Amino acid sequence: MSMVRFAGVRKSFGEKRVLDELSLTVERCEVYGLLGPNGCGKSTAINILCNLLDPDAGTVEIDDKPASGEVTRVLGVCPQEIALYRDLYPAENLRFFATLYGISGADARKRIEALVQMFGLAPYARTPISALSGGWQRRVNIAAALVHAPQLLVLDEPTSAVDIEARHELWEMIEALKSSGMTILLTTHHLDEAEQLCSRVGIMKAGRIAREGTIAELLALVPAKIIAMVETAHQDAVARRATEVGWGIRRYAGKVACLLPHPLSLREVVHALDGLEIDSVGLQRVSLEHAYLEVVHDEQSDASTLTNDPGAVRETVAA
Amino acid sequence: MSGHRLLFAMQTLGVAGRILTENMRQRRALIFWAVFPALMLLLFGWIYGSNPTMPGSLDTTPAGILIGAALFFSCLGGTVSILVAERERRTLRRLLISPLHPAAYFLGIVLALSTIALLQAAIVYTLAYLMGSHFYGSFWLGVVIVALSVFAYVGLGFFFGTRFAKRAEDVNGPVAAFGVPLLVLAGTWFPVSLLPKFLLQIAWFDPIFHMNESLKAVAGRGAGWSELADNLIFLAAFSAVALAVGIASYRRMLVVEKRS
Repeated sequence: MSMVRFAGVRKSFGEKRVLDELSLTVERCEVYGLLGPNGCGKSTAINILCNLLDPDAGTVEIDDKPASGEVTRVLGVCPQEIALYRDLYPAENLRFFATLYGISGADARKRIEALVQMFGLAPYARTPISALSGGWQRRVNIAAALVHAPQLLVLDEPTSAVDIEARHELWEMIEALKSSGMTILLTTHHLDEAEQLCSRVGIMKAGRIAREGTIAELLALVPAKIIAMVETAHQDAVARRATEVGWGIRRYAGKVACLLPHPLSLREVVHALDGLEIDSVGLQRVSLEHAYLEVVHDEQSDASTLTNDPGAVRETVAA
Repeated sequence: MSGHRLLFAMQTLGVAGRILTENMRQRRALIFWAVFPALMLLLFGWIYGSNPTMPGSLDTTPAGILIGAALFFSCLGGTVSILVAERERRTLRRLLISPLHPAAYFLGIVLALSTIALLQAAIVYTLAYLMGSHFYGSFWLGVVIVALSVFAYVGLGFFFGTRFAKRAEDVNGPVAAFGVPLLVLAGTWFPVSLLPKFLLQIAWFDPIFHMNESLKAVAGRGAGWSELADNLIFLAAFSAVALAVGIASYRRMLVVEKRS
């Protein structure tokens, strides 16, 4: 039994089709990462799941029931923005949101105490939200989505605009939720985050899932295990040489990415490029970011735009 | 109490409690909402005291001050501010996803602002009493008029707040543009006897006119329920319409928010 199921969902705003036969399934107790560039339809899909928008066609189910009315109570949503009452203390925010779901008295106290403990909020019990740092506000933002003990948690870019340290702390929180068996639907632009947290990932493109699979399955889309990133002003010459020695070529972020079919040492790579003018070369293991670019590249109707304009690729990733 | 009614009551109390806690913590708005009517009362008391020939009296002044200077800003302006803040803080989206009933949200605001209104009434009438003013009519009739006034103001606030105020900077615009002319038309700052006949006819459709007239009549000459029936019926009807318009405006705001 799946927790979330989109089947052939279409949604247009005016002439623009935002979701185009979107189909995806989130299984129980998994963390599903929904990735894709801005405007690919992620937010619209989430809004439909939350019953904030109606689809033009297709069906959306939560827990095998249509996603509307009472069913959405099993849903906890942590929006991208800090959606909290800034003058209230963390527990007061949690209590208010609990009240909206009819949770009060001992039940509410027990639930709030558990969340305060889980998210380490006790030292800030008498601190208004406005006085907390971004990372701590994010924690309360997630806790507020959990106060009614939902079965499904939607995290919409939960670590945007926080520093690295806070992001890693939030990852630990999400890992803990994952361990507790909660089903999580996560959207993020941080591909390392998706790689760290998600059991499966769907990459959206133009309103539908372009590729879907486990991290290992997506990494297998890149025809290499190691990538040599070459920084040079003579990209065409490097690309020609790489092709001659049997390496795949991509252009990421102003650099030539040489896809090595079998692992080579840095010395061997430099030796293969001998005689070419290069500024720097480094080896990287294939990551979800490369797989993501591979999917985006593959699905682009005008692939040359990407290869000739590496900045565009970077923008897609960073967007 | 059935499950749905209990949830409705909890949501209403939850919204009211949250707004009051926020106000207590901010304090500044509360202080201004107390200082402004107090200063207005002192000024008008001084003016009436030094000009005994002026129409109006110190007994009816607190009613006008309470309706026009206290409740107008706390309940009408306060409602607009609450809605705008909800939108700006993005908490509206959380409310949207929750099972919060629109009527519970409306009544929660009414309840919170009624509490503030009663505190304002206590301040205004305590000060007025110290200045030598008298309240001749029924205390409970006064409370009913204040409660209906809060309801009507919150309804107007919902209408203005959802239609004309998107950001914090927009709050004063609709309150000043629509609210202040309604205050003037209602004879808040001077007796309605000074209004030309045509304006007086228009004023009859202004809810603030009925708030002023009824509370002034109760306070100044001890008017009773039957004498004020027209005003009270108008205010009750307006409150019912305000509730309906408020809920409709809230729903409309949610639709707009969903699309954003």
